[in-house]
Amino acid sequence: MRKILSYILPLFIVGCATTGDVTSFSSAEDTGNLHEKERRLWHEAAGFDATIERSDQIYNNRQATVYLQGVMDRLYPEFKGKIQVRIYDSTELNAFALPNGSIYFNIGLLSRMENEAQLAAVMAHEATHFIEKHSFKQRVSTKNSAAFALSGIPFANLAAASSISGFSQDLEREADAKGYARLVKSGYNPREAHKIFQYLADEVEALGVEEPYFFSSHPQLVDRIDEFKRLSANYKGRGRVGSKSYNRIMTPIRLDTLRKDIGQDRYKSIILVMEDSKKRRYYPAAGYFYLGEAYVRRDEKGDMDKALKAYKKAAKHSPNFAPTYKRLGMYYMKNGDKTKARYNFKLYLSLAPKNARDRAYVQQYMNSL
Amino acid sequence: MKKVLALITLALLTGGCAQTAYWTLTDDMNRVVQSKSFQMTVPDGWVRTTKADTWERIEIDGEPQTILLESMAVTRDGTSLHAITVTRHYTHTAFPVIKKKSRGNMLPNEVADLYVSELRKRSGLERLKVLSNKPTKVNGKPAFELVMQFKNEDGLRIRIVSYGFVDKTGFYTINYRAPYLYYYKRDYKQFTSVVRSFKQLKGANDPPPEMPAWAKLFT
Repeated sequence: MRKILSYILPLFIVGCATTGDVTSFSSAEDTGNLHEKERRLWHEAAGFDATIERSDQIYNNRQATVYLQGVMDRLYPEFKGKIQVRIYDSTELNAFALPNGSIYFNIGLLSRMENEAQLAAVMAHEATHFIEKHSFKQRVSTKNSAAFALSGIPFANLAAASSISGFSQDLEREADAKGYARLVKSGYNPREAHKIFQYLADEVEALGVEEPYFFSSHPQLVDRIDEFKRLSANYKGRGRVGSKSYNRIMTPIRLDTLRKDIGQDRYKSIILVMEDSKKRRYYPAAGYFYLGEAYVRRDEKGDMDKALKAYKKAAKHSPNFAPTYKRLGMYYMKNGDKTKARYNFKLYLSLAPKNARDRAYVQQYMNSL
Repeated sequence: MKKVLALITLALLTGGCAQTAYWTLTDDMNRVVQSKSFQMTVPDGWVRTTKADTWERIEIDGEPQTILLESMAVTRDGTSLHAITVTRHYTHTAFPVIKKKSRGNMLPNEVADLYVSELRKRSGLERLKVLSNKPTKVNGKPAFELVMQFKNEDGLRIRIVSYGFVDKTGFYTINYRAPYLYYYKRDYKQFTSVVRSFKQLKGANDPPPEMPAWAKLFT
């Protein structure tokens, strides 16, 4: 798992022990009996939690947070109250666990997953890192020079640095195997598990970039997909998939992720998702608007025509989504079609909230026509 | 080692670089800050750069790059705390990190959207929030007025107000950045008077300068 904290936080622990001395948690009660060195690790993790909260990086969606916590509690009822799931306001495809049981899911990753079983697969993996004390084990069993080199990085760089290192392959495999076993035991369909990793592998390849995807680098991601396929090949059950509830809750988050993606110029990611009918089916129709925006940002030959088509689709399938009409109005205004420009601006002004950010611009453009 | 020293010396001798910019206290005699492309009147009793920075090193796709620009700064308490900066980006490097050029026919809200993306990507501040985005005029040209904010690791709210516009000569911004607590409100009026005093000069129409030889060594 690609998380810098697993490396940084243990630096505060001095001295060595052997991995064999580290016993995993079996229930929430165990977390009351921490070794002194572990307690310090927890303290640092709590500090990181506080920093995330103070700096406004928690994504506030109570319904989704409660839902995620519910899935975690269903997976690990014996750790209820000790493993806390939060949503991290980042569109990068990532999730990470802190040594104190705080588990963060980025909105980018939540948007890409398709059902509760996929969510549960990642959750079980993350929770295993906490339950098996992987951060602590890694610290006491290795002398990782990279960890020391990274220890001085400021907080602002942590998110980026989190892509640099992960747990050792052995610990990752343990998280895979134990997470998988828990997924099955909790009644989820394990055949969904490999799919989320397949989507991530597709994205890594299509975008041609290295992002802080969880589950380490590309070849390992492929190995992991094969391993999950192998594990679930003999599964005969009819486990829970949970598509309906998951997608109902994630719909507004998906739209928000598209908005934030365009706000960071991550247009490639939007095009990848919205051009693919299989991926797109989980996104609301207003997503076509962001596809149009993504084409405008890419600005290659023919992209303006593609953008116009996407805006028109957004208007057709999501007729009450105001930003589409602002964009159409701007397009027609620039191309000298005042009648259509006025029509679309008028629609925007009638649909957009009174405090909409672009209202003043649209009003001004209307007046100029 | 000798090569490194030679490069540093060359860079310093070439002039116009950030390291050689120096500060002067403003008073009645030197409140007008002038660069090749623009001028503005800054508050009395502040400190300002005496000449424009003409280049900047930034990271684009993880690689350090040199871009040319004109930028001047004025501050009352030090740039790490609060500052007003005026920058002209040339059309080809108007939004260098997101790799977008400016075009004279861009609408102000299109420019504002690109600028916010540029800031987010450049700073890594995904959490930079746009509080308001309104049309306005700067030097008689259609412009945007953006109010943005983020919280730093200590939970301190940092506010950024940006005025910006594009024309055929490039992309111009006038920024004010300060902690919302105390400093922002204290000097906001001074900032608006700087914005009102902003004027483009004839030099703005000159062709962009060539990338200096020393910069090519780094790029």
